[in-house]
Amino acid sequence: MPPKKNNDEKRLEPTVTLDFEFKKQLEKIVDGTLVNYCYQCGACVGDCPSARYVEGFNPREIMLKVLYGFAEELVGPASPVWYCTNCYNCYERCPQNVKPVEIIIAVKNLMARRGIYPEKAQVGDLVDMVLETGRTAPVTAMTTKLREELGLPPLEAVDTDELKKILE
Amino acid sequence: MTDAQPKKFAFFPGCLIPVRYPQMEAAIRKTLPKVGVEIVDLPGFTCCPDPIYFKSYDKLAWLTVAARNLAVAEEAGLNLFTICSGCTATLSETYQQLNTNKNLKDEVNERLARVGREYKGTSTIRHVATVVRDEVGVEAVAASVVRPLEGLRVAIHYGCHLLKPSHIMKVDDPDDPHILDDLVAALGATPVRHDEWILCCGKACKHETAPSEMMYELLKSVAAAKADVLGVVCPSCFNEFDLGQLRLAREHDDESLKTPAVYYFQLLGLAQGLTLEDVGLHRHKVKAPALEKYAAAAV
Repeated sequence: MPPKKNNDEKRLEPTVTLDFEFKKQLEKIVDGTLVNYCYQCGACVGDCPSARYVEGFNPREIMLKVLYGFAEELVGPASPVWYCTNCYNCYERCPQNVKPVEIIIAVKNLMARRGIYPEKAQVGDLVDMVLETGRTAPVTAMTTKLREELGLPPLEAVDTDELKKILE
Repeated sequence: MTDAQPKKFAFFPGCLIPVRYPQMEAAIRKTLPKVGVEIVDLPGFTCCPDPIYFKSYDKLAWLTVAARNLAVAEEAGLNLFTICSGCTATLSETYQQLNTNKNLKDEVNERLARVGREYKGTSTIRHVATVVRDEVGVEAVAASVVRPLEGLRVAIHYGCHLLKPSHIMKVDDPDDPHILDDLVAALGATPVRHDEWILCCGKACKHETAPSEMMYELLKSVAAAKADVLGVVCPSCFNEFDLGQLRLAREHDDESLKTPAVYYFQLLGLAQGLTLEDVGLHRHKVKAPALEKYAAAAV
C-alpha cells in the first residue's frame, strides 16, 4: 500500500507548466521584451473594451501569464489573445511603455510560427490573399462596375514579385 | 521631406476603399482639388499591409512590406497621404519603429535590398483628415462649401487607429479629440458627441458575441443623440457599421439602430455641390434620407 501523502507533498505537485522557451521565443519578436517592464498596475484594464464586453478578458492578467511563461493558456485553443480589439487604449495608458497590445500581437506571431492559430483568427487566409494579389480584398465584377459608375479608372493587378522576394 | 512641394502628396489608396468602397475614393478625388491638394498617383504600392491580420502573422514581415511601400514614395520624393485609418496606423508605426531602431531598420533593408530598394525614413505619412486640417485649414474647407449642411446632425466616430498610439499618430488628444468635430462644423453641419463616441467599433475582436454587444451599445448611443448620420473616416469602421446595423436592427427589432454611416469626404463632396451619385451615397446599404434635401438644394 503506497504511503499516504500529507498536505505538504500535495502542495509540491506541479499544477502549471512554465514554458521558458516560450518566453525566449517571444523576446525575439519585435517589442517582445517590453513585457518585462510590466509591474502589474492594471492601468491597461480600465479602458479596455474587451475587458468590458468579454467575460474574463484582462490585459493585466495576460501580461502576468506572459511574464510567468504560462504558455499553455496563451497559445492553447482557448487563448484570450484573439479577443483583443487592437484599440491601443492599453498602449496609451501604460506608464511603463509595455505596449500590452504589442505583447498580445507578439503572442499571435508566436502562434503563427507554430502554425497553431485558430481559423477564427482569419490570419492565414488574409496573408495568403496579400501574397497572391497584393491586396486584402478581391477585385470583383462589382468593384469594376462601381468604379466605372463613379468615373474612377479600373484597378490594375498588383505586381507581387517584390512581395514574394522580400518575404522569402 | 524637405524638397517635396507643399500640398502635393503621394496618394496611398490601400485595399478596402478602392476595392469595396470606391465611393470613398471618388469623394477624395473630387473634393481635395477644390481645397488645393494635389493628388499624385504612384505605381508600385501593395496592401499597407493591414495592422490586424497581417501584423498578427509576423511583425517583421509586416514592417518590411510597409517599408517597401514607404520606399516607393521616397523614391518619388513625396510625402504620403492615406485615406484609411488602418493604412495610416501601419505606415506611421513603421516610420516610427524604423526611424528609432537602427537594428530593425537594417534588418528590413537587408530584405528590401533583394529588390533593389531601401527604406530611408524621409517620407512622412498623414491621414487625409489631418492633411485637410493642417495643410488646408478648417477655414479653407469652410470656404469651399457652396451648399452648407445646416441642420444635419453628424454623430462623430473617431475609431481607434486615427488617434492611437498618440505619440506616433500625432493627430489629436485621444481622450478629447476635436479634428472631426471641427471638420464637420466647417461644412455647416452639427457635430454630435454621444455617450459612446470614443468606443471601438469592435471589428478586430474575434469573440462570438462581444463585437455585436459593443456595436449595439454604440448605435443605441448614436440614436439617443438623435443623429442623422454616423460620420466615419475609416473603411473598417464603416464596414462594421454598415452591415452590422442592419443585422442588429433585425435582431433587436429596433429600426432606430439604423443611423447611416457616411465617410466624411462624402459629406464634404455634398457640401461642395456634388450629387449623391457623384459620391456614391445612393449605393449604401443603409440609405441616408436626411442627405437628400441637401443634394436637391440648388448650388
